[in-house]
Amino acid sequence: MLDRIITRGRLVELVDELARTRRIIGPVRRGERFFYEPVAKAREIDLEFNYCVYSPKKVLFPAREELFMFERNNGSFRTKPLLDERPTALIGVHPCDINAIRLLDQVFSHSHRDDHYLARRRQLFIIGVDCPAECTAGVFCEDMKSNEANEGFDLMCYPLSANGASEDMRYGIKFGTDAGREFLLYAQAGDRPTVEDERAFERYRAQKRAAFQRRIPFDVDGLPALLDRSYDSLLWEATARRCYSCGSCNLSCPTCFCFNTFDKLDLTLSSGQRVREWDGCQLREFATVAGGHNFRPQAASRLRHRIYRKGKWILEREGIPGCVGCARCDRACTAKINSVEIYNQLAEEG
Amino acid sequence: MTAIAPAPLEHARTLYEPQPAEVVAVEKLTDLENLYRFRLSSGEPLGHGPGQFVQMSLLGIGECPISICSSPTRGDYFELCVRRVGEVTGHIHGLKKGDTIGIRGPLGHGFDVHDMHGRDVLIVAGGLGLAPVRSLIQYILDERSRFGAFHLLYGARSPAELLFRNDLTIWRESPDVNFHMTVDRPDEQWRGRSGVVTTLFGELPPIDPLETMVVIVGPPIMFKFVVLEVLARRVPQKNVFCSLERRMKCGVGKCGHCQANNVYVCLEGPVFRYGELKALREAIE
Repeated sequence: MLDRIITRGRLVELVDELARTRRIIGPVRRGERFFYEPVAKAREIDLEFNYCVYSPKKVLFPAREELFMFERNNGSFRTKPLLDERPTALIGVHPCDINAIRLLDQVFSHSHRDDHYLARRRQLFIIGVDCPAECTAGVFCEDMKSNEANEGFDLMCYPLSANGASEDMRYGIKFGTDAGREFLLYAQAGDRPTVEDERAFERYRAQKRAAFQRRIPFDVDGLPALLDRSYDSLLWEATARRCYSCGSCNLSCPTCFCFNTFDKLDLTLSSGQRVREWDGCQLREFATVAGGHNFRPQAASRLRHRIYRKGKWILEREGIPGCVGCARCDRACTAKINSVEIYNQLAEEG
Repeated sequence: MTAIAPAPLEHARTLYEPQPAEVVAVEKLTDLENLYRFRLSSGEPLGHGPGQFVQMSLLGIGECPISICSSPTRGDYFELCVRRVGEVTGHIHGLKKGDTIGIRGPLGHGFDVHDMHGRDVLIVAGGLGLAPVRSLIQYILDERSRFGAFHLLYGARSPAELLFRNDLTIWRESPDVNFHMTVDRPDEQWRGRSGVVTTLFGELPPIDPLETMVVIVGPPIMFKFVVLEVLARRVPQKNVFCSLERRMKCGVGKCGHCQANNVYVCLEGPVFRYGELKALREAIE
């Protein structure tokens, strides 16, 4: 059931209203590709984007951020946390990435709450855009059951008419949160969906189901068990022979959340910041301890670690899949290593 | 990082901010290792249990994980044994009494001492592995009436690498612990036993396998051979514990560095039961 219907023109107006109180970030076209970038006007956002090269993860968990600043004096020190509490709206997030954000929400909020992530998350308003078709070749979101999102957004827009670029194109809206509902209702935006709108929505969903292909010939619920049987497969080493351990897969992944921390000193040498930045389990030094012992020295063991995290361990720990099938890792891979191919080759072995 | 405002000066500490702790004593243990005694500047006790660790910060240099090597029963201080191996630990070795460092912790899952109450305990430590179990050794000695027989076996590579020499002397003379030690490579002055730590099993009286809790901490290579000795004495695998070493950056189960297969050593460990480790192929490989 839809909650409201609005036109594209009205949606753009709404985003401009949001921009009065929030930083707006959305897909911006750069040549043939799209990137999430801050914009001043809603018109700069291209909602017809196929996919953004980097996921919206970078908005909530920047590639590099300062965690706190410190001042040293007379051998002692004091610290002040740096929390990014800027109200922000993220416009145009596909269901795969919404599912990835749900995972990050959980990882950064359980047991030890990560104030830095959560400060951004509290201030983030998300307008999702559903995908009527596969965004690009090779995605396997259908297999990972992440080409739909039922929660994790404030508003979700379903493009009900095909002509995406026109002003009167109609979006079906679902509210994901009270904030989403209030935002639309206070603006007195949108019409109540008619019976005909609901039918259009049903048609949209049927067409969507037909438009997405399966690429893994078994149910993804069986993936953890498959990986369980495959720990000693030769495939890890065979695939890793091509791997450059460059970490591109980690950087492009919407659910990779590993990081490193280090200190930066100001020129005065009496103050500085502790910084965290993305790190990747495919990089050679990732599991090296002080003294030099590396617990994962071979590319094969690192590659297996990543696939196990994505296909089994994160799901088992968090109850949310560690892979959303966006295939950014496969596209980013300099050696053309393909995770779906790995899953399927493992399945072939039994 | 424009427009990101620092919090007010008085704030609840966030996850990654260390709290200040003052060096109250420094003791040189070996050429590579120093023992530091700290007190939190807040005056509060650290609140740790044996086997836990802290993240130790030198602001501007960085942070590293260090096992706590003193027992909470010893008062409002805590001790860290630091081996000089990298940049942060190199700077730590420049610390003097009165200096202040940053501490995050206590972190991790230590030894379940309550589970050990009423039982016999056998501790086998190799090399720097003596540091994390020293917190447990002190705990057992301070709460001696809660435990049955207490055996402690310690092996170091050479006499020069023996840690906590004052403790070794005390333990050797104490009726509270059946203590034996050995070195792999004796020098001319060495009058004690030589050989790997497993040779010390010959010094043990027969142990009651169902009533003995075993703790093994040392380099991975040692672990396998000690486990063999222990299993040969029919100790159930659930009674065998080990503390793992990994690279920990966040210490709170986020950054991913310390993962061994599907467990975060910083959260679920560093202390594990042998039964859990068996399923963790990366734990001791």
